[in-house]
Amino acid sequence: MALLFLLGCTPIFLKAQTRQVSGTVTSDAGETMPGVSIVVKGTTTGTTTAIDGKYSINADQGTTLVFSFIGMISQELAVGNSTILNVELATDISQLEEVIVVGYGTQRKSDLTGSVSSIKAAELTAFPVANAVQALQGRAAGVSVQANNGDPGGALKVRIRGGNSINASSDPLFVVDGFIGGTIPAPEDIQSMEVLKDASATAIYGSRGANGVIMVTTKKGKAGKTKIDFNTSFASQEPVRRMDMLNAAQFLDYTQEVLPNYISGGADTNWQDEIFRTGGIQNYQLAVSGGTEKMNYYVSGAFFDQTGVIINSGFERYSLTSNLNFNASDKITVGLNLFARREGKNGVVTQEGSGGANSAGVVGSSLRFMPDLPVTNPDGSFTIAKIGDPIDNPFAVASQREDENVADLLQANIFVNFDITKNLTFKTTLGAKTDNGRRGIFVPTTLNQGLNIGGGASISSFKNTNIINENYLTYSKIFGEKHNFSILGGYSIQKSQNTNWLARSQSFITNSVSYWNLEGGSVPQIPNSGFSEVQIASLYSRINYSFNSKYLFTFNARYDGSSNFSKNNKWAFFPSGAFAWNMKDEKFLQESSLFSDFKWRVSYGLTGNQAIAPYQTLARFSNVFTVINGSPVNAVRPTTVANDDLTWETTRQLDFGVDIGLFENRINLTADYYRSVTSDLLFSVPLPSYSGFGSQLQNIGKIENKGFELGITTVNTRGEFDWRTSVNISTNRNKVLELPDGNDILYGSGPGHLIGLGQTQILRVGEPVGSFFGWIYDGVYQNGDTFLPGGGFEQVAGGEKFRDIDGEKDANGKLTGNPDGRLNADDRTIIGNGQAKFIWGLNNDFSYKGFDLNIFFQGSQGNKILSYTLLELETLSGSINSTTEALNRWTPANTDTDVPSRTLNRTQRVSSRWVFDGSYVRLKNIALGYNFPRAMTEKVSISKLRIYVSAQNILTFSDYRGFDPEVNYSSAGATNSNRNLGLDYASYPNAKSLTIGMNISF
Amino acid sequence: MKNSKNIILGLGLALISFGCADLEEKPVGVFAPETFFNTPKDVETAVLGSYGVLASEPLFGRQFNSALMLRSDMVDIGNRATSAERIQVNDFNMDSNNGMVSRFWPVWFQVINAANAAESGGESLGLKAEEINPLIAEAKFVRAFSYFHLVRVFGELPYINFAVSDPTALKNISKSSEAEIYAGIIADLEFAKQWLPSKQKNDVRSRPTAGTAASYLASVYLTQGNYQKAYDEAKFVIDNKDLFGYRLEADFRSLWIAANADNVKETIFAMDFLGQVNVGSQNDDLIPNMTGVINFQPGTFGVSVPSLKVYQTWDNKDYRKEVSLVDTIVFNAVVRAFPEFTTPRPHIYKWTQSPGNSNTGGRFSDHNYIDMRYAEVLLIAAEAGAEVGKPGTETAGYLNQVRERARNWGGRMTNFPEDVSTGLTKAQLIDLTMDDRRLELAFEWKRWYDIKRRKLGESVFRGPNSLEPRTNFDPSRDYLFPLPNSELIINPNLAPNNPGY
Repeated sequence: MALLFLLGCTPIFLKAQTRQVSGTVTSDAGETMPGVSIVVKGTTTGTTTAIDGKYSINADQGTTLVFSFIGMISQELAVGNSTILNVELATDISQLEEVIVVGYGTQRKSDLTGSVSSIKAAELTAFPVANAVQALQGRAAGVSVQANNGDPGGALKVRIRGGNSINASSDPLFVVDGFIGGTIPAPEDIQSMEVLKDASATAIYGSRGANGVIMVTTKKGKAGKTKIDFNTSFASQEPVRRMDMLNAAQFLDYTQEVLPNYISGGADTNWQDEIFRTGGIQNYQLAVSGGTEKMNYYVSGAFFDQTGVIINSGFERYSLTSNLNFNASDKITVGLNLFARREGKNGVVTQEGSGGANSAGVVGSSLRFMPDLPVTNPDGSFTIAKIGDPIDNPFAVASQREDENVADLLQANIFVNFDITKNLTFKTTLGAKTDNGRRGIFVPTTLNQGLNIGGGASISSFKNTNIINENYLTYSKIFGEKHNFSILGGYSIQKSQNTNWLARSQSFITNSVSYWNLEGGSVPQIPNSGFSEVQIASLYSRINYSFNSKYLFTFNARYDGSSNFSKNNKWAFFPSGAFAWNMKDEKFLQESSLFSDFKWRVSYGLTGNQAIAPYQTLARFSNVFTVINGSPVNAVRPTTVANDDLTWETTRQLDFGVDIGLFENRINLTADYYRSVTSDLLFSVPLPSYSGFGSQLQNIGKIENKGFELGITTVNTRGEFDWRTSVNISTNRNKVLELPDGNDILYGSGPGHLIGLGQTQILRVGEPVGSFFGWIYDGVYQNGDTFLPGGGFEQVAGGEKFRDIDGEKDANGKLTGNPDGRLNADDRTIIGNGQAKFIWGLNNDFSYKGFDLNIFFQGSQGNKILSYTLLELETLSGSINSTTEALNRWTPANTDTDVPSRTLNRTQRVSSRWVFDGSYVRLKNIALGYNFPRAMTEKVSISKLRIYVSAQNILTFSDYRGFDPEVNYSSAGATNSNRNLGLDYASYPNAKSLTIGMNISF
Repeated sequence: MKNSKNIILGLGLALISFGCADLEEKPVGVFAPETFFNTPKDVETAVLGSYGVLASEPLFGRQFNSALMLRSDMVDIGNRATSAERIQVNDFNMDSNNGMVSRFWPVWFQVINAANAAESGGESLGLKAEEINPLIAEAKFVRAFSYFHLVRVFGELPYINFAVSDPTALKNISKSSEAEIYAGIIADLEFAKQWLPSKQKNDVRSRPTAGTAASYLASVYLTQGNYQKAYDEAKFVIDNKDLFGYRLEADFRSLWIAANADNVKETIFAMDFLGQVNVGSQNDDLIPNMTGVINFQPGTFGVSVPSLKVYQTWDNKDYRKEVSLVDTIVFNAVVRAFPEFTTPRPHIYKWTQSPGNSNTGGRFSDHNYIDMRYAEVLLIAAEAGAEVGKPGTETAGYLNQVRERARNWGGRMTNFPEDVSTGLTKAQLIDLTMDDRRLELAFEWKRWYDIKRRKLGESVFRGPNSLEPRTNFDPSRDYLFPLPNSELIINPNLAPNNPGY
């Protein structure tokens, strides 16, 4: 309308000439749009709209201007007589044009044959996080992200479609701007994360793709006016939950029942109050970006500082990202991404491997320590447990022990892209990363642990370097309008070197030197150092063919050689194939108004898991600490036997998927069914011990992961009140298919000081990895019950009653499965496991006028937790504190309970009493923001100003009686991170936060 | 033109990097067995490795010797809330999943494997006998020492006397009979006796000498009931005691002072631990912690505590009782008698009285855990001599040397225990010797072996004067430990397990 009016008012020129065309671009919501790209079709002449949506460009009459902007439907308009051309762009809710980053390139969503989930910048910055991966939790179907422990800067466990291995890492591969194994920058600097899930997407990463690949793309500048973005947020944090422990009076009663001579310490201390405090986060990020037609830049600095909810713990991160792209010529583009980061962490001891006399951690001791002791003695020294293990009090452990970790990282990624011809490009990249860190630990004499050794200090350091060079050619051409063909072929080489060293000493004159005077220790300890090197060379290729954009074929392959692989198996080949059918483009659906998109996908392929550590295939002698005549001497013994045939683990994955769009893509649905079988699992196959070797690494064993993923996004309402929902739900069934000789493998993961726990978990064919293994608890013996005999089992009223389920032996000495009237190790069975039946996330975004509201729920269902924390506290045998469950213990006056009596003779053992339902629903984020109207902010040259308040983890619905159901004890390192799921001991509680923040763009 | 230059440049870059790929590993800081043995010093380094493993927590640091201590009638469980596996070993109701066994079984074989590797490395050098046999003899001694313990604890088990490079080939081997194992042990000890020096460098007692080999031969023959040979070997050691540097320490207590451990001349073979060095399970000893009084010796666990009758039946006039047991402790300047101990009985004192440079409770102490000392050789000579009819003057004489030393109450001579009469009958002398062994070598993991070889189980556990009554003691089963079930699962040829398990 406006267009015609303007045309009529403008003088008409008879001769076509190059002239200035200008105008304003607005959106269908009525807002002016800065940053819209305008190009004269068929030329390289272009510009972008300014902050007020206005543009001006040189264009001949009769040419066509193309207006485009991400998320909007592009428009092409002819330049007519008028010099004013205003445009209104409509929001494109279709995601067909969305560009997805895949291995070594990008693809339009409509052309994708593999299973890929894409997470955009807004979701990654919904609330402040130490590590961007944390923001992935609950955002993508098939992707499980869990915090192992709640400490600031703590490790996360990421699993894509289940854990594929037992003894090798199941962590996915991270590719940052094409740098395989690169480090992720601050979440504010990330443009998008793509999770590649099926073989078709991951096979191009060959021997490292089996666990899925997370592609991270960092932000780049855009042509146009310089943009300045500033984001800041502040959060106040508390532990998600506290545990109910006995107070001093209750503890006295509880202890005197078995130790009548026990005298109270006189105080009433709530140890959780002593160690917990209000924590906080402050987060700042400042980015400057911009560019011209020929170059763009993005420079950003970020600072994240978290004060932990336990005293003396915290984490901080400083980082600098600088991305620069420029056209060296018409055909050559050069890019340089630099990233520098320093991280610092102050740690306290939690999830300790053994919490005995001198190594009890902060949380573990806060629960065990007797509440009737004060924090300090009258003489100022810290109290120590009076009965039981003489552990330091929790406040002392938290405040006195020093544990500081500082790590610096520098990463550079350079690429050169040659457009050799219109259809052929060549890209070469060089990535380099160096990473080094230092950790100092000091145990002073104010702690019992330090007192005995005169103070103990240690410093450990590591320095790792990683260099990668990739070179690949891409050729793409459309033949005869219907045949779209592209082929990629490349070569890559990667080298990495890891070094580490450690020095320790004991017995210092004073505590004030901390760990900066190791030579002053009069009892030096044995230092150690280590070195390892890996090289990987690869050839890879991908072929894409589509017929009429309706039938799509993809073939991927990679040929990897690694120095880690054994002598006889240095090279590995990983192919995959996929087919997709855009059923929507078929005649019978083309006119459908119901379906806007309907694509079937199927893929199958092989990917690998490097699995083998450097030097692991070689036979070895190792040092043994030996003393002759009071002095250490050089001594070695055989520790490893060679395996010249050792090979990587291979995963075969089949994926069926469908992408459906309904009602012009107001509803988008993606569903996948997958089945992966990983074979040639690396196993320390138990060798008979009489061979002198405990085990030999062999490739034996198979695991299966199969499951179903569903992701639905809907645009419920549009316009002034906008409401969008996205929900994802995934199930995964993990099952061991094959073990060496089919035998069960039993192993223990209990904290070392809980002696006698022995084997706690089992690997058994037909069961999920890491199943809990123990006795079945049947309640409490009452007077008059028949007591089952058994060494170490109670036979009294008030004692724990276990079920006799096996023990009878047949003529050959094999178990028959019938009870034998006795309790012993044969009566153990699988009592649960930590794998979730399904995980889900539900995100709702509302916006109305300037307000936006985001509500994000996330949960896990069906996983069980084996709680060593509650086992230690509630066995009710010993001299430590207990939870308020102890108030309901069996006594002759209180017989109707399943909490046994107080005693000193009960052995701690793994039973179904300690297996809890770990299912939870969590309100992960709720955020209310307000965007100041453009009209107001433009007066002060601000293009966007948003303030918000939000809360994280404020509601958790769960039956688990520990601190938090999201926990994994003893889950670091390749083997433990697969086998130990759903364990809890003395964990640092996760935090709930209240956050306020602001986003400003200039 | 510019384009082709660029293409060539790019391809050139690619080709250069291709040439840089070298996938062969060159380990740094790691030893490869194939190239390790070049000189006798290398063989020595490998032999020394086996001592390092012997001095570790699963063997003489705690698990193995505690299991033997608990099994006997001289040591009972103190703290009954300790782990079930220890209670089961003590109470004779263990099964083949027992945790103590599964901890020490594999480590014994690491020792044997280290010794076998050293022996094979030594033989591979092709040197003259005089140059290399002393080191090969050391390796053979370690193997014999290990199998001597294992065969007494387990009975039949796999006998491996070669270096293992392909463990899967051993997956189906059968157990060797006790006779075969003893034959191997004796052959190794004979070689060792022939080729080991009379004294090691610096007179260290944690490496074997010819005297060590002879002493162990005496013990092996005694166990087998071959009393003539036992006597011959013991006599050989006694006659050559000055050559080997053996003598009884004047003060019984000085055997248990850790700071002095390396100077004890009575030691024939010991495992050497160094104070306060924490390197994993190596060098980690917890016997002081296992035997200490929980409430008055901080950091101890009070697991291995003799029954009250051990204390009550031991004569107060015996200095060795004073040194071996503790019945009062001064704690925070207050004298506490044993009824106030957490477990209200006197505790073992040998290792907690003076652990030297150590951590809390005596862990990581400086103790050398003695497996054979000269006093035992004298007792073997007495017992074996009596069995073969040697004159009373001689056999009683040996016993009396031990008793004479015991009369030295820290510098003051007493008159208890009195000398044994030379006119006793064979049976009387043997009984007396067995009881003297029980007291002299108390808590030194000897008693269980004595009970076993003399089949004393029923009388010491079920008899009227039992120090630790165990009515469920079953002589058809309980003289042996079960082989770990995990081994039988891997190698079904090891079945059946020992009778009753």
